[in-house]
Amino acid sequence: MTALTLTRAPGRRWSLPLAWAVLAPILVAAAAPELLAAVSPIATDPVNALLPPGAGHWFGTDQLGRDLFTRVVHGARPSLLLGLGATVLAVAAGALLGLAAALGGRAADQVVTRVLDILLSLPQLLLALLVITVLGGGVANVVLAIAVAFTPGYARIVRAEALVVRRSGYVEAAKGLGLGRPALIARHILPNAVGPLLVLATVGFGTALIAGSGLSFLGFGVQPPDPEWGAMLAEGRDFLATAWWIGLFPGAAITATVIAVNVLGRAAQRRFTRRTS
Amino acid sequence: MHVPRTFRLSRQAAIASLAVFLAVACGGAPAEPSGAGNTSAAPVKGGALTFAADTEPVSFDVHVSSQDITGAILRNVFDSLIAEDAAGKFHPWLAESWEVAPDLKSYTFHLRKDVKFHDGTPFDAEAVKINFDRIADPATKSQLAASLLGPYTGTKIVDPHTVTVEFSAPFAPFLQAASTAYLGFYSPKTIAANAATLGSGGSVGVGTGPFVFTEYAKGQQAVFTRNPAYAWPPKTAVHTGPAYLDKLTVRFLPEASVRVGSLTSRQIDVAAAIPPANAGTIDGNAALTLLNADYPGGNYSIYLNASKAPLNDEKVRKALQRGLDIDTNVKALYFGHFKRAWSPLAPTTPGYNTALENSWPYDPALANQLLDEAGWTARDADGYRVKDGKRLVVDWPLLPAQYVRDQRDILGQAFQADLKKIGVEVKRPQADIGTYLERVYGGKADMADYSWSRFEPDVLWLLFNGASRPQEGGQNATFLNDPDLTKWTDQGRATLDEAVRADVYGRTQQRAVDLALVIPVYTQSQVLGLGKQVRGLTLDANAWPLFYDVWLGKTTQ
Amino acid sequence: MRTLAKRVGAGLAVLYGAATLAFVSLQLIPGDTVSTLLGPATTASAEVRAQISAELGLDQPPLTRYLAYLGRVVTGDLGSSYQLQRPVWQLIGDQLGPTVQLAAAAMAAAVLIALVSAVATAGRRRQVRAAATAWELVAVSLPSYWLGILLLTAFSFQLPIFPVIGAQDLPALVLPALTLGLPIAGVLAQVLREGLEAALAQPFAVTARARGLSQTAVRLRHALRHAASSLATLTGWLVGTLLGGAVLVETVFGRSGIGALTLQAVDNKDMPVVMGVVLLSALVFVVISNLVDLLYRVIDPRVRA
Repeated sequence: MTALTLTRAPGRRWSLPLAWAVLAPILVAAAAPELLAAVSPIATDPVNALLPPGAGHWFGTDQLGRDLFTRVVHGARPSLLLGLGATVLAVAAGALLGLAAALGGRAADQVVTRVLDILLSLPQLLLALLVITVLGGGVANVVLAIAVAFTPGYARIVRAEALVVRRSGYVEAAKGLGLGRPALIARHILPNAVGPLLVLATVGFGTALIAGSGLSFLGFGVQPPDPEWGAMLAEGRDFLATAWWIGLFPGAAITATVIAVNVLGRAAQRRFTRRTS
Repeated sequence: MHVPRTFRLSRQAAIASLAVFLAVACGGAPAEPSGAGNTSAAPVKGGALTFAADTEPVSFDVHVSSQDITGAILRNVFDSLIAEDAAGKFHPWLAESWEVAPDLKSYTFHLRKDVKFHDGTPFDAEAVKINFDRIADPATKSQLAASLLGPYTGTKIVDPHTVTVEFSAPFAPFLQAASTAYLGFYSPKTIAANAATLGSGGSVGVGTGPFVFTEYAKGQQAVFTRNPAYAWPPKTAVHTGPAYLDKLTVRFLPEASVRVGSLTSRQIDVAAAIPPANAGTIDGNAALTLLNADYPGGNYSIYLNASKAPLNDEKVRKALQRGLDIDTNVKALYFGHFKRAWSPLAPTTPGYNTALENSWPYDPALANQLLDEAGWTARDADGYRVKDGKRLVVDWPLLPAQYVRDQRDILGQAFQADLKKIGVEVKRPQADIGTYLERVYGGKADMADYSWSRFEPDVLWLLFNGASRPQEGGQNATFLNDPDLTKWTDQGRATLDEAVRADVYGRTQQRAVDLALVIPVYTQSQVLGLGKQVRGLTLDANAWPLFYDVWLGKTTQ
Repeated sequence: MRTLAKRVGAGLAVLYGAATLAFVSLQLIPGDTVSTLLGPATTASAEVRAQISAELGLDQPPLTRYLAYLGRVVTGDLGSSYQLQRPVWQLIGDQLGPTVQLAAAAMAAAVLIALVSAVATAGRRRQVRAAATAWELVAVSLPSYWLGILLLTAFSFQLPIFPVIGAQDLPALVLPALTLGLPIAGVLAQVLREGLEAALAQPFAVTARARGLSQTAVRLRHALRHAASSLATLTGWLVGTLLGGAVLVETVFGRSGIGALTLQAVDNKDMPVVMGVVLLSALVFVVISNLVDLLYRVIDPRVRA
């Protein structure tokens, strides 16, 4: 994988600004949807149901005559929050587990590594579904489910990074100087692990967003009538033959967000690799 | 095992033939049903037909399953003692004649002597007893058939071809129950050898019907082949002798778009549950036709839990009833293919009360006034009504995605929007089926929505009788034991007097709506799409297709 | 031999862990198991409920149930589905075929697309490589459930090229396989292209060309070698992506298979089935990663050291 980060990826000059250009309106939509779409996303208008995209309704209307542009705009916040919440939780839990394994002595390392081996042997989506089977659906549980599914990956990386740092000379030196374990973690190990973790979290956020909307698509996430991109896609499935627009725009929003986030993540990865190498 | 019926929580009693034209309405050439009932040409023997169903039976054990689809599919494999026609009249089938004791506590059936199971075992009084006893045995874990047997105490073998079925209390609905596929007969041999695996379907499902169950692949299809020895169709069928089709394949295609797509591309011959949104596509296709029939029994309705706040207040319930714009939303979502409902009972059910029609139209002003009178006068920042610092919230759980049919989730969103206008917040948590059950059947939810198809007004007993407690397997999600509703529905099942039944069932419907225990929403309709090569297809009184009389003509295109 | 024993031991540990994880999950479920398995439309009586409870051993203490459960798992008995009343291994066995078919087709499509893309674009002009990076990026960012909807709309409904149904025949496999395979192709193509670019810059590539081998032949040979090695290193990820992706892809296309079975089980809290699928994927993971590892050692002796 290093080859990838070291060769100069072509088209980088315009890819970053483009990614921000895509992401900016999505972030605005998530922060203040009323700015972009003043109408209520749940107000129905059955007389104007299933209108194709046009001047009055840029993305058309759905089965109940709700404006799809409005719903896509208002869907940004719940969709992004699913991914963001899961990523933050997973990174935090992963960091804790990873550090515990790397610094907690042999026994702790053995236990954590074994558990991680087991969890990593299962597909992430299956792990998330297992959690949902136990806890049930709903936004909070979906966030938790994805976090559980993603935690092992982060934990493994934190553990590896922490081990590298621990074995490097300066930690030994610091130990020699009488630094306690908490200080050691705070001053040396965490700062060194934070870089790669942030890079990973950025790319991981994209994956978590896809997973979150995927679980909503399967009917486990946001509860109706609140708009969420994955749930909107699910509602459009009966209309593939007659009203393609219902199934198009919410998916495009997910994809555009993930592409932009991935571009940013890769840029961060390159910058980081350059700095440390 | 049970599988919640996917969409419409219904038990259906599939009945022998009938009623093709129950309601060949809607959109499609009603006068010239080229698919259905075109008798101008002589039927042709042979050919294979593929039928796409929208749900898949969880259990193929007809004595265990409570799903409509199980009864509908296995109607081809199992015969009943008697057959019921669209007018509610009973005709001989496996029983040549029968007598009902005056006290309605025992029924005597005189059986045909020429009937054989697919494995060659003769059908006789012993077989009837073995089957009914099996249904009543708790070890069978019957989810529907046992309740169709009601207060069953046993079957007496009078002679090898005469049985008397006995009950501990008067049980009028038994004749109708006996005409359903759920009280069909397995060969005693297969019951002895395969009792535990009958639910898995396939060749263990040995009956007496016109088709033999040959093969089942979960998630894909069930295959049936003609029973060449068949010579005992019900009097309601069009022809006699073996079925015309060599082979009947039922494919399970839960995705509506997939069913429609495979019908238009001619991969299948008949598709069930065509979404109204796609009906136009089928209609516009010269090679296809639509068949439309309303389901009998309980309409798709919302039941209000009157046992706890806030819906223990009749004014609030009434406000919800009058605050839903059912007309507009049902029309928009179903393009006129489903009729809006006025009574908890569907119009095709015997005993339907026509007086309820148009008696409680959409009236948001009245709804607002009722809520004001009930004390929900203040409004919070989001526009919802508040009383004593508490927001007016109703909890209406949503079934898991897999079980949602007819876009009822979307319709629910329209109702959420309607009720928001009168200041009521509707919460629709969606969870797994276990959580759903716990909330709805445990009485924790405020509203529940379902339909319950059966060609018999006795469904009202299930829906409103005080003894039909959901905690104990009943369906009365109003959680109210109203003395009148309980008395009338008890009276209805204890008499065969048509006038008395019409009277008590009419009053039951009126009172349930007056008390706003129920908000009837729409009458479900079976919208079948079929290729024009399919001839002689009829729907039974339960609106499910019957394949015994079906034959394949030349493709018109 | 010792490494082999160690690997088997590690594999067994993973399986034991997965079995325990599944059991613990079952214990964590709140609510009444009997009601859960009876479902909403039921008129089952108290006797029926008691019967089911006794059959499932729900009256035993947890440790007894855990040991009994482990014992059953070891003998291959995964219990019976609450909902479908059939042995879990039988259900899984029935559904394995369509999913293996889908996964194999998706894998083949992914490798083919990745190879073509890498061979055609590695080390080419800037614009070509920019296009390659762009499509790889889009491919890995596409949610499969949306891609499936797009493909269905375009190639089954607007242009009726591919049939909508038909789990058995090849044409019906094309769209689902593409849906499942494209994101994998994106990752593979990137890894391959970069590996190839590095390889082509090395002296032996130049020598090979000097020996008269055509440009394409040299590229293809390296691409294939890289494909083999990157497939080996990505095995774990691939198995997970294919199995997990099957849940969504089978839903979108209305196909039967392990994914559809899993989803149905989750919706119904049919824990024996969910537990069976968890064990199955752990088993598939352990078996395939060991197999690939073994094969890789045979193919490339350098790894043996």
